[in-house]
Amino acid sequence: MNPSLGIKRSVSIWIRDLHLYAGLFISPFILVFAVSTILLNHAWKPWTRTAVEKTSAPVEIPAGLKSGAEGVPAAKQILRQVNVSGEIGFVRHQPQNNRLIIPVFKPGQRITISVDLTTRTAAIERTRTDLWSTLIYLHRTPGPHNAQAPRNWGFTQAWGWLADATIYLLLFLSASGVYLWALLKAERKTGLILIGTGVLSFIVLLSVLAR
Amino acid sequence: MTEMQPQIRSPRFFRAFETWNRKFHIYLGLYFLLFIWLFSISGLVLNHPRWQFAQFWPTREQTSFEQSFQAPVATGNLPMAQDLMRQFKIDGEIYQLTNNVEQGQFAFRVMKPRTRFLIKADLKSQRATIERIRVNGWGVLYALHLFSGVRMENPELKRDWFWTKLWSFSMDALAVGLVVMVLGGVYMWYQLKPKRGWGLVVLALGILSCGLFVFGLSRLP
Repeated sequence: MNPSLGIKRSVSIWIRDLHLYAGLFISPFILVFAVSTILLNHAWKPWTRTAVEKTSAPVEIPAGLKSGAEGVPAAKQILRQVNVSGEIGFVRHQPQNNRLIIPVFKPGQRITISVDLTTRTAAIERTRTDLWSTLIYLHRTPGPHNAQAPRNWGFTQAWGWLADATIYLLLFLSASGVYLWALLKAERKTGLILIGTGVLSFIVLLSVLAR
Repeated sequence: MTEMQPQIRSPRFFRAFETWNRKFHIYLGLYFLLFIWLFSISGLVLNHPRWQFAQFWPTREQTSFEQSFQAPVATGNLPMAQDLMRQFKIDGEIYQLTNNVEQGQFAFRVMKPRTRFLIKADLKSQRATIERIRVNGWGVLYALHLFSGVRMENPELKRDWFWTKLWSFSMDALAVGLVVMVLGGVYMWYQLKPKRGWGLVVLALGILSCGLFVFGLSRLP
């Protein structure tokens, strides 16, 4: 047997296996992104159900209250005291009202902590969202928002890595898929027609949209 | 029903299903090749707003000019905007329409992935200021990822440009195509008995890690 043929065969077996396993790993992620794409593309929120809980708790006011990303360290101290976890959004320190507003986000929940700096009391409004809102939230996270502020919750960071990994693996699946198709002589003609049709429709769309 | 069952369960039916499932998996992947690359790369750009090479806003071209127009014959904000766009030879998706009838001020934005316009028309003097912003290729990628003509925060917004509708349709088609590929792919893996063990481990890892975010984190305090 020709040794180069043996190498080629073992490479194609490796690529086929990697294609299979990478595809299986990212399949739930692809479903999340695909379903949320349809929701976002039509601004649909089917069967929107939310439940709001309101509680309050006394808090110690930390030093260094500020607005925006600079206010995150103090906001984190307050979150620990009121037992709330999640990604802190844009913190608003309102000295004129003696208030500190901390929005907190995580999949399935939106929390607003409004701290009265005079009475040292935190009003916590927790909105539990449904599955569809969770999918949309995950699709948009980390996203382009608040580019200057680093992510401040470990799980948001982890989702960012997983979202990136999904993209890199999808690119690998796409490239390895083309390689595996090229080995199938019986599918070459139809495949070429479909690649051609896809490329043509893509070019037509882009030539108008990106004009 | 009783006549159909044996036919559906026949090995011939399954063979045909498996053949076509495999073919669809390949064909969809090939047809959507460039769409997948575009949304993957633009997804990375959106997730990494600090990547210097992909910055497009600081290098945008911004121009502004004035133009006179004939009073629109159409009534209603959208037809009026479309009338003015015809006169200015501008096309794209219209949004953020504001009409101050008392002062005769009519303003709207027109969006295309490369170019966006802000049009401020004075209906009394029949003159308009048109501000045009053009972005580079990274800006186009960025915009294409988000270009649907609708906003989750504003459910009343409707697509009004043919090409937005077509682009939005392609996004739907890609999403449905990916779902079909995923389900078909899982089915094909399950048919490969020697790969079931490791495949199950990898699939379980994917489901658990994704499930943690979809279902698990909402249970945290």
